[in-house]
Amino acid sequence: MNQTNFVHESYAQRIWRRFRAEPFARNGLWTILVLFAVAALAPFLANSHAIIRVADGRVTFPIFPSLEPIEWRFLLYVPLAGLAWLFRRRLFARPLGGATFLLALVILIEVWLVFHHVVNDPTNDRDRPAAFKLMPLVPFSPVETASEPFLPPSWTHPCGTDSTGRDIAARMLHGARTSLSIGFVAQSIALSIGVTLGSLAGYYRSWPDIAICRLIEIMDCFPPLLLILVAVSLFESQNNMFYIMAVIGLTTWTGMARLVRGEFLRLSGLPFTLAAQAIGAGDLRVIVRHILPNALGPILVAGTFGVASTILLESSLSFLGFGMQAPTPSWGDILGESRLYIDFAWWLAFFPGLAILITIMSYNFVGEGLRDAVDPRLRIK
Amino acid sequence: MPESTDASSPDPILKVENLKVYFPILGGVFRHKVGEVKAVDDVSFEVQRGKTVGLVGESSSGKTTIGRAIIRLTEPTAGTISYDGKVVSKLSAAAFRPYRKKIQIIFQDPYNSLNPRLSIFEIIGEALEIHFPEMTPADRRARVAELLGKVGLKRDHLDRYPHEFSGGQRQRIGIARALAVNPEFLVCDEPVSALDVSVQAQIVNLLQDLQEELGLTYLFIAHDLAVVEHISDFVLVMNDGKIVEAASAEAIYENPQHDYTRKLLSAVPKM
Amino acid sequence: MTTYLIRRILLLVPTLLGITLLTFLLVREAPGNIALMKGAGGENGSRAMTAEQREAMIKLYGLDKDPFTAYAEWIGRLTRLDLGDSWVDHRSVVAKIGERIGLTASLAGSALLISYLVAIPLGVIAAIKRGQVTDRAISFTVFVLYSIPSFAAALLLILLVAGGDYLNLLPMYGTNSINASEMGRFEWLWDRIQHMILPVICLTYGSLSYISRYARVSMLEALAQDFIRTARAKGLPERLVILHHALRNALIPIITIFALELPVLISGAVIIEEIFSLPGMGQLMFASLEARDNPTIMGITVFVSILTLLGYLLADILYVVVDPRIRYE
Repeated sequence: MNQTNFVHESYAQRIWRRFRAEPFARNGLWTILVLFAVAALAPFLANSHAIIRVADGRVTFPIFPSLEPIEWRFLLYVPLAGLAWLFRRRLFARPLGGATFLLALVILIEVWLVFHHVVNDPTNDRDRPAAFKLMPLVPFSPVETASEPFLPPSWTHPCGTDSTGRDIAARMLHGARTSLSIGFVAQSIALSIGVTLGSLAGYYRSWPDIAICRLIEIMDCFPPLLLILVAVSLFESQNNMFYIMAVIGLTTWTGMARLVRGEFLRLSGLPFTLAAQAIGAGDLRVIVRHILPNALGPILVAGTFGVASTILLESSLSFLGFGMQAPTPSWGDILGESRLYIDFAWWLAFFPGLAILITIMSYNFVGEGLRDAVDPRLRIK
Repeated sequence: MPESTDASSPDPILKVENLKVYFPILGGVFRHKVGEVKAVDDVSFEVQRGKTVGLVGESSSGKTTIGRAIIRLTEPTAGTISYDGKVVSKLSAAAFRPYRKKIQIIFQDPYNSLNPRLSIFEIIGEALEIHFPEMTPADRRARVAELLGKVGLKRDHLDRYPHEFSGGQRQRIGIARALAVNPEFLVCDEPVSALDVSVQAQIVNLLQDLQEELGLTYLFIAHDLAVVEHISDFVLVMNDGKIVEAASAEAIYENPQHDYTRKLLSAVPKM
Repeated sequence: MTTYLIRRILLLVPTLLGITLLTFLLVREAPGNIALMKGAGGENGSRAMTAEQREAMIKLYGLDKDPFTAYAEWIGRLTRLDLGDSWVDHRSVVAKIGERIGLTASLAGSALLISYLVAIPLGVIAAIKRGQVTDRAISFTVFVLYSIPSFAAALLLILLVAGGDYLNLLPMYGTNSINASEMGRFEWLWDRIQHMILPVICLTYGSLSYISRYARVSMLEALAQDFIRTARAKGLPERLVILHHALRNALIPIITIFALELPVLISGAVIIEEIFSLPGMGQLMFASLEARDNPTIMGITVFVSILTLLGYLLADILYVVVDPRIRYE
């Protein structure tokens, strides 16, 4: 490779260039982005209400009043995150200003959601006459009894219907939200705990290290699924999405903590860390500016694999019936419901199973690609 | 400025007295202290303002530990280090901070001494950010560019990353980083040991030029007597945590007193 | 080494205390308790308890004590290896675990054994044919397997081969057929094996894919070592070089990860036992969680934790035994 390619290329740019060169990783990333888009747009892809309806000389948008707060969050935050990323340079030219602006937007949205009134309209626009109507791709809501139970896949119901006649395709599209957001948020919680404790242990050594290592060992000597089962089944009444996210996050951070501790032990002995300390940089500065950025690659890789295993964990929980309470659909739920009818209704298991497989595989491909990009020595092709 | 190169003359800028740095060896079932490594064992010496003292010894002789103790990267077990007549080894981390503007360090390994995630401007400018918070980013850029010029690098190297530079260039960046705060005293911890011989001479010459220009004082640590002899006014020879011989550079070279010094000298190719 | 071992074993004690205290408090402080569960009656048709009866029950199970005192008492009994009696059927927890452990152990054991038997050759072949079609095919297949959730695989396998609309080759659930008691010894064994095939497959393929990926990397590293080049240079046949020199070195890290697979297999067994209705530890765990049978939950916690910790310890010891270069002071 030509040496001049490297000139002025920062570490992040280098990783990105290597990552893009891996076809599997690239496609995995695209798949994840598409899945997130589907999750964000789920109410517009599968809904019993029309997107646009023209009747009696009035133009209405029946979908919007029926949107739940979580749907608004997806609808607003996913594009917001995308825009913030696109304009990151201008936004964070003054880091404090940019952060304040974003925070203000988030607070604004959340306050609005608190006062937002969701209209629960059980009617559907499929059969209602109108001069013009634009229905979503799948014209069923995930909770309505739309047709006969156990209909195999057809043009009307591309993924069939379940035991109560709900449309599987609609449930899957909406389920993407649950599965993806739990994977992402729970892993972010685990990552925050793991990085914080891992850096404390690795940087300060001595007694914080001893205490944190003991804690890691305690958490590790119990398989996470069992620990989560205990926590979730005992507090059944609180099984909302955030509780599940918190429980998964609080029980799966140990791997990340071990990794970060190891990286910190290694990096805190290197001359550039000593040089920063010799200059008079405080602990926080040394950790955040010197050690953490150098550990970011492995952290990112482990985090990506972590999202995959968190999604798997969540779907296992839902499958076993310990996940969120219905009617919030999740891919694991649909699979769990299918257990009783598996001897004839293959579509009940096949489509959600495939969705979980594709998601986990995409994350794993991205993880592999990142790992190869972060550390080319590990590349085994 | 005192003329004499004699170690016992008045007004030493740095004075090390009975310095001991011991590292505990943990072992046994309860990880208690079962022994200690005496990395530095009762060492005393002085460095005169504007002069260079060479500190020579094989690896693990304790020379690097002395350098790190001076700039407080390692806590001394016993003994005192005085700078400009004040005992600094017992100051709190916050109270020692002003001294980090006066005492700086250059590291051996040019590949690991620069943070690979930061640009050259960020690496050198960090010291300015910490010690001169009143400087604007534009001021800092100008100052870093000036420093780059001082160490023989170009202004357009500012926004490059460490991996784009050779070992010798990286060492120059390390020197610029140390110089950013206008220090008086530099601990040079084997600054040329990892470099090619031809590059070694360039860096040593650069250090000598800078000393003349800025009136710097050096503690020059090396395992190679030849390099030290070239740059030092006074030489300390260390073995197993103790100073075994202390004399002027010529005296060491011409008339070594200690067996260990002779052993070190025999490894130096005669020219 | 001896000092190291003693240190490690002593360190197991605070770790065990930590995990048991954590679970104890969690189980005890969670809303609801066994008295409420039993008192509610309802489902099994029994009448609801009076308030006095409920109070008496809470006292009987010691639920009125402060949790730390209760924990201290529990630990006191544990030191005499007494895990107490189940609150559901008043049988000894040790006995309850004892009758379940055989099934779970044989499930996890066969899964581990088969994983290794298949994974090592797969990994070795992929490493030898590095970059070729064989390698790519193996690596991709293994990667896909690694990403399939075991419960989805279980459902699809049941659908395809166990009595669904397609093939009806294997039984769907349970450990034996209904008429097992009338079978002869070999017939019974054959029946049991048929029942175990699907659960073992579902439990195996995940570990298998992980181990074979690991084996491939490990083998590639071994093949890149200097002594392999020396062996080749000496003119030794390639077969001998690979089997005798490279594989022997590659096996060390592969074998030691078996300990890390244990907790994974236990988690997996919980799901698989639930799907295939197998009366193992996983099912016991579910049942006791649902019934709020605290002594049994705690018993399983202790059991699984000790098993996992011993696994980690064993991995470290094995590491020293198989590789004389590694020494713990």
